[in-house]
Amino acid sequence: MVLLVDSTVDSVTDTVFRGMFAARKSVFIDLLKWDLPVLDGRYEVDQFDDAHARYLILTNADHAHLASARLLPTTRPHILDTLFPALCERAVPRGPRVWEISRFCLGRQLRAAERRQVRNQLVSAIAAHALQAEIEIYTGVAEIAWLEQILSFGWQCRPLGEPLPNQGAILGALEITITPNTPADLTAGGVWFPIVPTNCRRAAPPTAEAPR
Amino acid sequence: MPRLRIAEVFVEHARSAPTREALYESLLQCCTDMGVRYFALTHHIDFGREAGPAVRLHNYPPSWEEWFDEHGLGRSDPIHRACNLASVGFAWSAVPNMIKLTPDDRCVLERAYRLGIGEGFTIPASVPGEALGSCSFAVDAGRPFPEEFQFVCQLIGGFAFEAARRISGSRAILTEHPPILTDRQRDCVLWAARGKTDWEISVILGVSHETVIQHLKHARERYGVQKRALLAVRALFDGLISFSDILKR
Repeated sequence: MVLLVDSTVDSVTDTVFRGMFAARKSVFIDLLKWDLPVLDGRYEVDQFDDAHARYLILTNADHAHLASARLLPTTRPHILDTLFPALCERAVPRGPRVWEISRFCLGRQLRAAERRQVRNQLVSAIAAHALQAEIEIYTGVAEIAWLEQILSFGWQCRPLGEPLPNQGAILGALEITITPNTPADLTAGGVWFPIVPTNCRRAAPPTAEAPR
Repeated sequence: MPRLRIAEVFVEHARSAPTREALYESLLQCCTDMGVRYFALTHHIDFGREAGPAVRLHNYPPSWEEWFDEHGLGRSDPIHRACNLASVGFAWSAVPNMIKLTPDDRCVLERAYRLGIGEGFTIPASVPGEALGSCSFAVDAGRPFPEEFQFVCQLIGGFAFEAARRISGSRAILTEHPPILTDRQRDCVLWAARGKTDWEISVILGVSHETVIQHLKHARERYGVQKRALLAVRALFDGLISFSDILKR
């Protein structure tokens, strides 16, 4: 299932939420070696994981995390304007209908064939959410190899600036325009695999537990 | 023209380029704008021997393509081989540090130089599950490559391959033939790829020796291959198993 998570606390999604932050630690810190803060030795949570963030989280029937992505409003501080403004040649795209995708995370336990399917489901959920929530543009920062995969999905992308070297990788910023045609574009790209999201109230980011 | 503008103009054209000819013209325009002479957008297959919806667009001298195909270099060209080790673009001058060059490789590189193809920069196009490809840019022999364009080349390469995919329908092959093994067959293929014998696999999976033989036989039949090694390669290519699956301890 795919969950759209926003605003306020709820205990049902607590498991899902913790699962996502733990998976993010496993992928971005343990595997990709990104220099990010760790909470309680288990969770990757940063300053953008606040009440304004939305999350799309794919889980299995037991609520175990499969994949997730974070959506940040560009009307507030986000990755591109706060950390990588140099990746934009012109002004950083902003507006109520412009959201930034970050922390696109595929669980490490997924096997190759499942990975592809889960990735497609998450990409489809991101596009479907935009159509439903009247988001017109997604922005995002990606390493160049991943950026190339994003292009290959078939949706409409545009570079925002020249890619730049950053900590041994090359990063680029993209803008993805979502239109009623996007599902057809993603179908042509072999990626469209929509599942209906369940709206959820959001659990608070995990906090460090007091030592016992 | 500002560097990014070159990529933006290309992206605009490539998005709607209806044919290979239109994409060719757009790439040629990029070369002119960047002050490089040659481009080559190609899948890494042996064009002399294999048919299919693969893409190859370039403005290298015609005699180069002829010689390239005569020698079946689509798969073994040293620049193409170096792509297997790169996730980002690389200068040709870095290739000797990436792969071990054989005497034949040196002959290929010298031949290219004699035909006037000088320093180059290649962007590998390696989307999992698709045939490998690359987009290269090169200057005339004896001239320096304009290094300030490497990042723009990187963008152009990515978008060019995306346009090629769309025009050639080469990703359709992928979606029309999804992975076709059962979970159990896949498990057997994975253990075979890890170097286990049929008997060893039967012990690991807790099934009979005969069952494993049957699973692998059916898996080979589904892929239409005769050999165990080729079965593993096909399953890898399709993303049914991954390198990390095989190599993890």
